[in-house]
Amino acid sequence: MSAPLDPTALDPTSITQHGTEVVLDVRDLAVDFVTEMGTVTGISGVNFQLRRGETIAIVGESGSGKTTTVNAVLGLLPANGSVRSGEIVFNGANIAGATEKVLRRIRGAHIGFVPQDPMSNLNPVMRIGDQLAEVLIAHGAATKRDVKAKVVELFEQAGLPDAASRARQYPHEFSGGMRQRALIAIGLACQPDVLIADEPTSALDVTVQRTILDRLSLMTRELGTAMILVTHDLGLAAERAETVIVMNKGKIVEQGPSQQILTNPQHEYTRRLVESAPSLASARMRPDADVLATERAMAASPVILSVRDLAKTFRVRNAATGRREEFHAVDGVSFDLHRGSTLAIVGESGSGKSTIARMALRLEEPTSGSIEFDGTNIAHLGGAKLKALRRRVQPIFQDPYSSLNPMSSIGEILEEPLKIYGLGSAASRREKALDLLELVTLDASVYDRFASELSGGQRQRIAIARSLALDPQLIICDEPVSALDVLVQAQILELMIRLQKELGLSYLFISHDLAVVRLIADEVVVMKAGQIVERGSIVGVFDDPQHEYTRTLLRSIPGVPVPEPLAQSLE
Amino acid sequence: MSTTLTPSANAAALPARGMSPRQRTWRRFFDGPVGYITTGILALFVVVGVFGPMVVKYPSGLGTSILQPPSAQNWFGTDGLGLDVFAEVVWGTRMSLLVALFAGLIAVTIGAFLGIAAAYFRRLDPIITTLTDVMLSLPLLPLMIVVTAMVGPSIVTLTLVIGFFSWPEICRLIRANALVVSALPFIDGARAIGSSPLRIMLKEILPMVSPLLVVNALLTGARAVISEAGLSFLGLGDPDTWSWGRILQSAQRDGVLVSAWWQTLFPSIAILLLVLSATIIGMRFNDSRTASFTGVKP
Repeated sequence: MSAPLDPTALDPTSITQHGTEVVLDVRDLAVDFVTEMGTVTGISGVNFQLRRGETIAIVGESGSGKTTTVNAVLGLLPANGSVRSGEIVFNGANIAGATEKVLRRIRGAHIGFVPQDPMSNLNPVMRIGDQLAEVLIAHGAATKRDVKAKVVELFEQAGLPDAASRARQYPHEFSGGMRQRALIAIGLACQPDVLIADEPTSALDVTVQRTILDRLSLMTRELGTAMILVTHDLGLAAERAETVIVMNKGKIVEQGPSQQILTNPQHEYTRRLVESAPSLASARMRPDADVLATERAMAASPVILSVRDLAKTFRVRNAATGRREEFHAVDGVSFDLHRGSTLAIVGESGSGKSTIARMALRLEEPTSGSIEFDGTNIAHLGGAKLKALRRRVQPIFQDPYSSLNPMSSIGEILEEPLKIYGLGSAASRREKALDLLELVTLDASVYDRFASELSGGQRQRIAIARSLALDPQLIICDEPVSALDVLVQAQILELMIRLQKELGLSYLFISHDLAVVRLIADEVVVMKAGQIVERGSIVGVFDDPQHEYTRTLLRSIPGVPVPEPLAQSLE
Repeated sequence: MSTTLTPSANAAALPARGMSPRQRTWRRFFDGPVGYITTGILALFVVVGVFGPMVVKYPSGLGTSILQPPSAQNWFGTDGLGLDVFAEVVWGTRMSLLVALFAGLIAVTIGAFLGIAAAYFRRLDPIITTLTDVMLSLPLLPLMIVVTAMVGPSIVTLTLVIGFFSWPEICRLIRANALVVSALPFIDGARAIGSSPLRIMLKEILPMVSPLLVVNALLTGARAVISEAGLSFLGLGDPDTWSWGRILQSAQRDGVLVSAWWQTLFPSIAILLLVLSATIIGMRFNDSRTASFTGVKP
């Protein structure tokens, strides 16, 4: 806010090309939000410099202020947010608090942006090519005459196959990865000096993530564009950026070269982050000896859940032909889960892993095949027998924000299972609820609160506590930690491992994240398109993956070397 | 890994107790004079309806002073039979509120039950939706007139008729909202724990749509007051009890709608105030409930 902005300073021709020239200099930036509860400081004291062609990563948990920082740079703060102090110097001019008119000329042309969610960031009723052409024409980077050729060229650079016909399609005809490529093309359309990518791959499947990031790195390198990569994944940040900035609670706690952050973190918070990141964790949560002991014990322990030739077919309408077709969500899946152990099912979206969880919970009825729980086939149970089964098999769901009824107090949520089965008196139910809270290390004062007053991690503890209320033998966890921040993720996994040991629980653990699975599972099943492609002990699958798809999945974990199959490495 | 968590670490990290969603709603609701005024008016009507008849004598028989304008003795003037209009309005308040309450209750109960059932049991959905559509397409007022005329005018008939013809709108709204709630993971969670369908409908879905029910009960009650006044005005009300509509009807019957302005003005103001307040409270409550996405109010 020191010097008024001189628009001529932004003329790209006036900028000299220096490798070490600072394109973006954020000095002592602070952002305030006005809320119903008074003024809240979003970020404060944020300092960093971005040099031409450099890539920096901003890493932090949700609420750390990383998105607020880049939104302030873009001038896209929400209506109740404003820059309280500090400067955002872009190409020599301070753009903090600049008018919308000035910012509009900078955004898109000089600072590009790639948003997080490719699903909601493209206009669904506009051809993809037109959406890119709009950016080019608005900033004078193309004329009506040559815009078509430029669009095709840009889409080709972004790695869209058959770019000319793709440009004429609508967003719903694109997969998530394709949409993100189109958004990258839009972000880089005017060859900006700076590209801001806010969690560009978080909404995508792991195998797609890598190719998107590769493309992003390639394009920014060719154009000499500096990039700010916002991510929650420290491993990914270290792999992609030269400099890593770690944020926590609206402040930068540490910044430095990425290798130094990884290998020699100075700040206590960074150290905890490095230790917790599942993709980086060098050791498992349990020592190897412990795993081997479980493996031996497992062979001896009886099978609690035995699935044979399980299949689920949905009738869906084909988008292209409009005819009803059969869709095989799960196709001939068999596996055994031993008592007291954890079996993980891993796969990308659409692999059928969640459908298996829903069938095991009997929220869906299988089309064919059998699910034997403790010797009884539960695939087609009904009535009282089904209710008796539900008492012994309990769920934990992914999203801790929508898996607890927001209108019920925590006490009511914990006592609900007991009430359903008419167990105990009001006093004994309350006692049980308090015991459960203690079991998941939550304070007894939580009893009277509502889920909306708790954090994500605390809610997931409540979900775990409720699943234990009826003393079940098997817990079906559908992506139980996917919606949580890494530090919280680690705590929840640790809690689950402790409870398994103490109570002898068996887990069927559904996840898309191999890194998380490695921390908790004894055995793993890898699924693709409704079928199992690989299965084995956790050590075996990770150290010597047999199927190409498993290797692709492993390779997509940032910062983890993938062992090649023995046969290949001998050649 | 093990250094990151000591068992008590998380227990200590509870956030400070903020405002619960309910507190926030009421705070928004009473943010400004409109909230106070409308709630005050509604409360005043309730007080008058409950305690008024204990103080004011029931207007019956024949009075001596006919069609007198408002004075110190007769605050709202007198009607063609010489009865005190103020007493009629006070007794009418009780009747109008009772009709509003019970008609609203009937409509909300039927509407909520059918709406939630349609959303939760997808097989019932086409049946209930069709029924709702048919009901909505019927011309309501003529139908109410026919039914009341057939059964015979009484306050119970009036309440039942208004109640049974007002549920379709509520049903449609509740169904739409319950559909969203039914798709939330905690409903699956309740099923997986072993909750019966009825329990899920009553304990999981109903509380989630209950704020909407409050809004709709108020709006339906307000509409019931209007319907009651309309039917009474047409002579289909209960001839033995005083309601606001009957005051208007007696003025019309005596042919003094224009000359004895006091006889029509005061019941009309009562109807206007009650309906307006109930509607504003309902809408304001609804608006206070939704989170504001654009930030603060200017």
